[in-house]
Amino acid sequence: MYLSDRVTGLFLVALGGVAAYGGSRLPPVPGQQIGPEVFPMVVGIGLALCGGMIAAGIGRSYEDEAEADLAKISAETEADGIPAAAHHSRWWELRALIPPALLLFYYFAVDRLGFLPTAGVVILVASLALGARARLAVPLALIAPLFVNLVFLKLLRVPLPSGMLPLPWIGLP
Amino acid sequence: MSNLTQAFALVFQTDVLLAILLASIYGLVVGSLPGLSATMATALLVPITFYLSPIAAIATIIAASAMAIFSGDIPGALLRIPGTPASAAYTDEAYAMTRKGQPELALGIGLWFSALGGIAGTLSLMLLAPPLAEMALQFSTYENFWLAFLGLMCATLVARSSPVKAIASMLLGLLVSCIGIENPAGTPRFTFGMTDLFGGIEVIPALVGVFAVSEVMRAMMSAEPPKLPFRRFGSILKNQWNLTKQYVAPQVRGNIVGIIIGVLPGAGADMAAWVSYSMAKRFSKTPEKFGTGHPEGLIEAGASNNASLASGWVPALLFAIPGDTITAIAIGVLYMKGLNPGPTLFTEQASSMYALYIIFIIANIIMIPLGIMMIRLASRVLRAPRSAIMPVIVLMCAVGSFATGNNLFAVLTVAAFGVLGYVMERNGYPVAAMVLGIIMGTMVEQNLVTSIMKSDGSVLPFFDRPVAAVLAAMTIGALLWPVFAWGWRRVRMAAA
Repeated sequence: MYLSDRVTGLFLVALGGVAAYGGSRLPPVPGQQIGPEVFPMVVGIGLALCGGMIAAGIGRSYEDEAEADLAKISAETEADGIPAAAHHSRWWELRALIPPALLLFYYFAVDRLGFLPTAGVVILVASLALGARARLAVPLALIAPLFVNLVFLKLLRVPLPSGMLPLPWIGLP
Repeated sequence: MSNLTQAFALVFQTDVLLAILLASIYGLVVGSLPGLSATMATALLVPITFYLSPIAAIATIIAASAMAIFSGDIPGALLRIPGTPASAAYTDEAYAMTRKGQPELALGIGLWFSALGGIAGTLSLMLLAPPLAEMALQFSTYENFWLAFLGLMCATLVARSSPVKAIASMLLGLLVSCIGIENPAGTPRFTFGMTDLFGGIEVIPALVGVFAVSEVMRAMMSAEPPKLPFRRFGSILKNQWNLTKQYVAPQVRGNIVGIIIGVLPGAGADMAAWVSYSMAKRFSKTPEKFGTGHPEGLIEAGASNNASLASGWVPALLFAIPGDTITAIAIGVLYMKGLNPGPTLFTEQASSMYALYIIFIIANIIMIPLGIMMIRLASRVLRAPRSAIMPVIVLMCAVGSFATGNNLFAVLTVAAFGVLGYVMERNGYPVAAMVLGIIMGTMVEQNLVTSIMKSDGSVLPFFDRPVAAVLAAMTIGALLWPVFAWGWRRVRMAAA
């Protein structure tokens, strides 16, 4: 998800502009000179200014130095026989979205399916995505949710939903 | 004196001692696993601290973070992969020592000087905090505003990135803190009609997202680190006393630099290690030996990163300004436990503060035996496959953030901040600056609005009082510094 400075900079300009505008529309406090609108406006304008500078490439030279340091280290690592990350297609980067997608799945599914099945799916998918064999991923998906359930439900008394799998003997009603 | 007795009574309770021990083991294991940082270890602990007594909660944070910073050295020395970013500065040096057949020496230096550095940092906390608290009691909202603003600016100055991007990150954090009804008028601000946003973005889920989920996202993209071969170690602490006597200056310098960097808001153990390692090289009589497995740099940087850890608590306890990302999390825990940061903490809750010092000292002492055990077990712990650990972390992020408020919306917050943290890091926007903005936003706004109301719209009172004027000058200097630096470079380039 590497984006050029121009893209991130212009995004910040837009975000800052929207924040400042949104702030300016907030109702003032009667009888006060200053209300809830001032802070978002100041921050929004600042953000838009910074975004503009980033898009224009100001401050880029500092990053070039840090990147040169990093490149030196990875070149040395490769020279030592440790392979650097292989080059992949554009779609490869989307793999990074698996963990947040699993959290979204947890959000939508946990009340309906219950904690244990949802957690099992989260663990199984994450483990397989990280390259585990089924021999490791399946037992992990069965055991780890039970362990987390024990810690949070039994020791910390966090109400985890039982959903369609009521198991009174492990505390799920 | 009675405060001290009370403090000992607070610490020497079964639950607190057990919390220290378990958190230490947890910190050692998590810190030693590459890709899991000390900040992440701390962030994942917070939901657990919810259910502990205040002192036990703080003890877990202190013990886990101190151990994790040390144990990050273990894979650095053995595999040339730093366990935490704080070890990255001297990983090459430690690994060179292992290649020379002295892994015990490299790991022993890491352990021994980390413990000594941690104790030096604790002493600085004990000596610095009370007089500063005395001074801070006299502060009005003007001073508090400038101090908070200065804290935010420091975070942007110390970032190893473009200062413009650092300021943008910080402003983004301030914008996030605008969400909710906690503002001067109590009006819903940027809530888009969602009741879940009325209370604002909760800090803990946001931190878990930024520091834990984004780390798992990065793991998805990188190759698994190589397995560590089984290895028998000789005596770990042999020669350490001789090294302590031989390298007094680097050690003291490392401690002092670590303490200073720890106190600066936003800069933590990793920055301390980088600065100290390069200072060791600059001041060394034998700089040519650096990089070939020479103990000097390891001693200075190892002492420095652990010293910064304790001194990072100084601004956190006094002004609720985090000294680093770990204390950013600790501030959340302090509020949660009714130990609201501020100078009055030292007058009204003195025994709790003494207890905190005692916990720091205990953690740094038990680091030595536990660290030796961890080093001996390292080849087993480091064999744990990443594909088994990371999935459990994803689950812990979900359940842990839910547990902080019994609110499923927190899980969405974690996911969103995970993506945000990942994208920011990938594009050179320092995440720590944003975190500081989120945590300090409400405080900055409150002090700004109250000050303007008090001054009846005039700017002059912001500079009237002597301390406020000094802080204002420092803040404006920090704000203009990147412009000066940029202009100076231009002049030099034109001259060349």
